[in-house]
Amino acid sequence: MKNARIFFTKDGACKYISHLDTNRVMLRAIGKSRLDIWHTEGFHQHAYITFALPLSLGFASTCESMDFRLLDDNADMTAIPDRLNACLPAGIRVLRCADAKYKPADIDSASYEVRIEPMTDKDISIEELYNRLNTFLAQPEIPVEKKTKKGKKTVDLKAYLLDFSTDFDKTVNMKLRLPAGPVLNINPSLLVGAFETYCGTELYSDMTRTGVFTKEGRHFE
Amino acid sequence: MYPKEIEKYLLKVQKPGRYVGGELGEVIKDKHDVDVRFAFCFPDTYEIGMSHLGIKILYSLFNEKPYIWCERVFAPWIDMEAEMRAHDIPLYALESGDPLTEFDFIGFTLQYELSFTNILNMLSLGGIPVLSKDRHDLNHIVVAGGPCACNPEPITDFIDIFFLGDGEDVDLEVIELYRACKREGKSREEFLRMAAQISGVYVPSLYDVSYRDDGTIAAVTPRDGAPAKIEKRVILDMDSCYYPENFVLPNIEIVHDRAVMEIFRGCIRGCRFCQAGFLYRPVREKSIDRINEECHALCRNTGYDEVSLSSLSSSDYTQVVPLLRKLNSWAKPEKVSLSLPSLRVDGFSDDILNEVKTVRKSGLTFAPEAGSQRLRDAINKNVYEDELINTCRVAFEGGYTSVKLYFMIGLPTETLDDVAAIAGLAKKILDTYYSIENRPKGKSPRVTLSASSFVPKPFTPFQWEPQDSMDILREKQKHIKDSITSKKISLSKVTYNYHDTDTSFLEAVFARGDRKLNKAMLLAHERGMRFDSWSDCFSLQNWLDVFEECGIDPAFYANRRRDFDEILPWDHLDYGVTKEFLKRECERAYASQPSPNCRENCMNCGMKKYGGGVCYEKR
Ligand code: SF4
Repeated sequence: MKNARIFFTKDGACKYISHLDTNRVMLRAIGKSRLDIWHTEGFHQHAYITFALPLSLGFASTCESMDFRLLDDNADMTAIPDRLNACLPAGIRVLRCADAKYKPADIDSASYEVRIEPMTDKDISIEELYNRLNTFLAQPEIPVEKKTKKGKKTVDLKAYLLDFSTDFDKTVNMKLRLPAGPVLNINPSLLVGAFETYCGTELYSDMTRTGVFTKEGRHFE
Repeated sequence: MYPKEIEKYLLKVQKPGRYVGGELGEVIKDKHDVDVRFAFCFPDTYEIGMSHLGIKILYSLFNEKPYIWCERVFAPWIDMEAEMRAHDIPLYALESGDPLTEFDFIGFTLQYELSFTNILNMLSLGGIPVLSKDRHDLNHIVVAGGPCACNPEPITDFIDIFFLGDGEDVDLEVIELYRACKREGKSREEFLRMAAQISGVYVPSLYDVSYRDDGTIAAVTPRDGAPAKIEKRVILDMDSCYYPENFVLPNIEIVHDRAVMEIFRGCIRGCRFCQAGFLYRPVREKSIDRINEECHALCRNTGYDEVSLSSLSSSDYTQVVPLLRKLNSWAKPEKVSLSLPSLRVDGFSDDILNEVKTVRKSGLTFAPEAGSQRLRDAINKNVYEDELINTCRVAFEGGYTSVKLYFMIGLPTETLDDVAAIAGLAKKILDTYYSIENRPKGKSPRVTLSASSFVPKPFTPFQWEPQDSMDILREKQKHIKDSITSKKISLSKVTYNYHDTDTSFLEAVFARGDRKLNKAMLLAHERGMRFDSWSDCFSLQNWLDVFEECGIDPAFYANRRRDFDEILPWDHLDYGVTKEFLKRECERAYASQPSPNCRENCMNCGMKKYGGGVCYEKR
């Protein structure tokens, strides 16, 4: 038995699959692919799979990963992406399969690309929105309310904004990196929500997770 | 692919995955390569529609034809509907994202009467005129099939063509005719007239209905050469009947997310309240080899690890145990579990239990339907108390501790004693549990009773019967409650619930309604009513207001006893069972006399004319 990790993208219609449903889609794909992987024991046996960092509903991603155990130590990992892709909806594409290098607990941050636009052209121009975003991000503090298990608390997002850059074309675009992983998770929609309140107008944002990183700043592999 | 402009609204609604398609197994074609585009509409949510077997069969069947592209459309939930209406987004099909106006056929499946308003709402959301008479060219043909097509009279103003009986052949024949008419430049009217000549096709606009002063029907008169009786279609050889090798695999959780294999059509039993039991006669089985082959392919193609063997009464498959053994020869090693829904009390054998995962250890369900033997005889539910007690004893000995029993109240000939007997039966089951020496220790037994309100349906021996008034039904619900003597016996939510009596009443109105109800349907639609089968949306008062405004007395349909010789709204439709047979069965019910099932003794219901199925099995 050996551990394997696949890396996959999620976009298009599959953006709207929740984490729980992604799990279900993957299990069915594994069943259909007939990959020989380890199953849980007990009354309802199912293939054992785990995800390093769940993705929120509505997000696209270029860097998702999933772990499982191959029963055959000599299994050919390079064949796995094609076998799974044949069994997955078009919005999920497996890019590669490899040994798991880091543990999910090593995850420390994630990067995102966010494309923001007004609900209609009449609300605000893209350029204006871009300028406002820059002023918003330039504030010394960006306090938001975050729901935690213990109730609501106010956090300063500015302190968590590890990296960011902005530009605009048809939409206002922001690249940013935020804490992620088992200890602290900051969802970029918190920042967009705060920006929306700041602008006083409803915004639409299209979010993509573009990278997952370890404490040392290495790509999670 | 969903239309790009909805992206902005998708994250504002519950379960956006309902509206985006993109599932494995969806069929994408180039619209320029096909002659006929068919929008298969299910008038309920994605999760319910995607669980339905009929849509899976017809979707694959149609798409196998290179010249047809069949796509799926579901009713958007009210939050999504609000967004679509606010932003002028027409109802679209999931595969192409194209609005309904791009389609040649808009087809609905009629599974329950309370989904009728959703049909009108979906048409209007899609930009299709809801009334047939407002649709003129040879396109946007609105068709409908499914069990409620057996009395489609309340929706004849909206639907151009109804398909009666098994859909696999007749649908394709009509599509083929449409294709020819299109080529030859024929008009919509010419097409409809020609379609009416195909067996199993009912074109309601070709029939005039006249009424007597008392509101009953005087005559139904066909026009333009349409047949006086429209006969349902029956596919006799199930082994040669089309069955899909693959399903569209939903990306989000749906109600029944598993492989489904149809093992036979019809039912030998003839329970007198059960419409499906008469509509789908005669019983036609698929062979073990065919089931085995198709089932294995389906599980391999879909990746499902559970397969449900579907029929109206699974344990009545003539060779059920050999079938299960054969399936398990690959299913067990491939970690696929089998389930047999709709198991009868007397079909619950050790042999079967060893082969299937019918139920989790937690609960068993049975449907005795009536509390007393007298009433079970009257409704022809041939389940005996000692069988039920024995089955429960076996189950308790095997470690089960809870049983759920399904009943109906308001059945013809029912008295308050019959109603009290429901609680009495529960008590006997509980006593059985305590009489077992090696009963599961440390756990408390539980018997749950569910009692829904009976709705008389067309093509059953009870088609002439009045439904109990809502007051009486509520009184009966209360009587069950008062008759319960132990805290370990409880009532399920549907029982003792006003919602159930209200929706059953409306269901009873539409189930045996006539064309006068079209007016009410239209007004209800104009008032924004839809999703009547959902308690979130249903309001009986809104319906009563609509009826009043239309000058319709709903009790005329729900609570009136019909004479045997009254012309019923569905009398021009022929489902094989004769009126004489139904009358005989009704009289036997009055005498509390059960009838043998098809395999014990043929009651000559009229199905022999089709020349196959159980009627010609060796007895
Ligand atoms: S004709 Fe006889 S055997 Fe055939 S369906 Fe009717 S009752 Fe059953």
